[in-house]
Amino acid sequence: MSDEIAYATIRELGTRYRKRELSPVEVTSALLARIEKLDPMLHAFVTVTADRALEDARMAEAALRRGDENPLLGIPVAHKDIYLTRGIRTTGGSALFADWVPDEESTVVRKWREAGTVLLGKLITHEFAFGIQFPGHKFPAARNPWNLDHVPGGSSSGSGAALAAGLVAGATGSDTGGSIRGPASFCGIAGIKPTYGRASRAGVMTLSWTLDHTGPMARTVEDCAYLLQAMAGHDPADPASSTVPVGDYLAPLRRGVGGVRIGVPRNYFFDGVEPEVQSAFEDALGTLRKLGAEVRDVRIPSLQAAHSFLLILLAEAYAYHERDLRERPQLYGEVLRERLMAGSLITAAEYTQAQRIRSKICAETAEVLRDVDLLATPTTPRSALPFTMAHDPEVGFVKSNMAPFNLTGLPTLALPCGFSAAGLPLSLQLSGRPFEEGTVLRAGHAYEKATAWHTRRPPV
Amino acid sequence: MADSHELTLDELRERIRAAGVPIPEKRLAMVRKLLSEALAPVRALDSRTIRAVEPAVKFVPKAEE
Repeated sequence: MSDEIAYATIRELGTRYRKRELSPVEVTSALLARIEKLDPMLHAFVTVTADRALEDARMAEAALRRGDENPLLGIPVAHKDIYLTRGIRTTGGSALFADWVPDEESTVVRKWREAGTVLLGKLITHEFAFGIQFPGHKFPAARNPWNLDHVPGGSSSGSGAALAAGLVAGATGSDTGGSIRGPASFCGIAGIKPTYGRASRAGVMTLSWTLDHTGPMARTVEDCAYLLQAMAGHDPADPASSTVPVGDYLAPLRRGVGGVRIGVPRNYFFDGVEPEVQSAFEDALGTLRKLGAEVRDVRIPSLQAAHSFLLILLAEAYAYHERDLRERPQLYGEVLRERLMAGSLITAAEYTQAQRIRSKICAETAEVLRDVDLLATPTTPRSALPFTMAHDPEVGFVKSNMAPFNLTGLPTLALPCGFSAAGLPLSLQLSGRPFEEGTVLRAGHAYEKATAWHTRRPPV
Repeated sequence: MADSHELTLDELRERIRAAGVPIPEKRLAMVRKLLSEALAPVRALDSRTIRAVEPAVKFVPKAEE
């Protein structure tokens, strides 16, 4: 299979299907062969659904012949393994659910299925979207296609690795503290965490109710727009789901970034940022300026307390896992078990104060977003860590540039903006006002069209 | 964050006793570090300085047809 097909975008695949230059069955068969060849080394997949994929592809071919114009028809995707899939094992990356086959499917899985996507399988996640897959865990950790000795980021680790290696054209991720944007950053792809309530979480395993978001990951911003369009919308099955109407995410992409006001919060986000990350970020700002964006510094004072995010996460995650932790602790991965139990050591008053800090950060951020349309920051302060460092249980939670946008629930995109001297991807983060995913995607797309970072391929 | 905000090992052991969870001795350092990081912003906070912006139920009247 040529790289050209493995790395084709959603629009390219759709165009070639309709010109009869390619068929979904051809593409699916080729990707299944590529998965068979590369995945033993990458460990991106937990389950490959070859029969289902070929059946989906045949149905997509029939729909194409009937003239169906859905842009996701015949597009090969895979789901993070915390998304419930009817009749297909859903492990949550945990020994607790190693053989669980749900009889229901998540809303997002249903929406993508109904849009005509081809399901290639389920992608490894950090255990329960939180713990790292340490050596000896039930499922091996996904590896970064740019350098197999480095982590692909998490918790949507399989999604990041599979996209970077050209095994799928789109994937689902979930993001509680950066689990879409972190792997996007480390794997050199794009991913968007939409506004809290924009995409349904029904049928997706919970980590932290007030921080969890679902969203798409892809190799380009435009592909993210296609995938988000098909997953966004009100869902009564998710109590946090919003009734705000879904906009058109594709049409605004053509409008460029001219006149868009971009704020750069210089406090917090640049603490501990590596020089090559800072340099790539400043270059990205220069590009956005050249494209017509107005860039200025802004300040969100309470961001210094954004680490209260971790307190909320730990308390809510413990609340979700409490019963299993007490009754079947041996089925949790070592280290994750104790990290989850740490949530039981937080008092009600401390949790409440963390939520009050969060409210302050939300209010200050909303105030800043009256004067600017977007916020720009580096997605991660450094490139992907090697496994040797990531697997050290004594390493704490490094300061996150992503968590503030889980606290505030704002739509936030990560996209490639350079490479480190070691050849690992670097990433730009753009965040917008609630439900203004269109503006975020528009700016990201304009930047992407003006640069070539997203066209580089890893050495797999 | 200042060291005075750090969780001591004794404090951690008290919390573990109160919660009744089995955290092995070999993981205490990790849990202490994790919890210290999580608690730091709250311990540094003078709660009187925050406006009453706690999350609360908000009722949005249905728009008139």
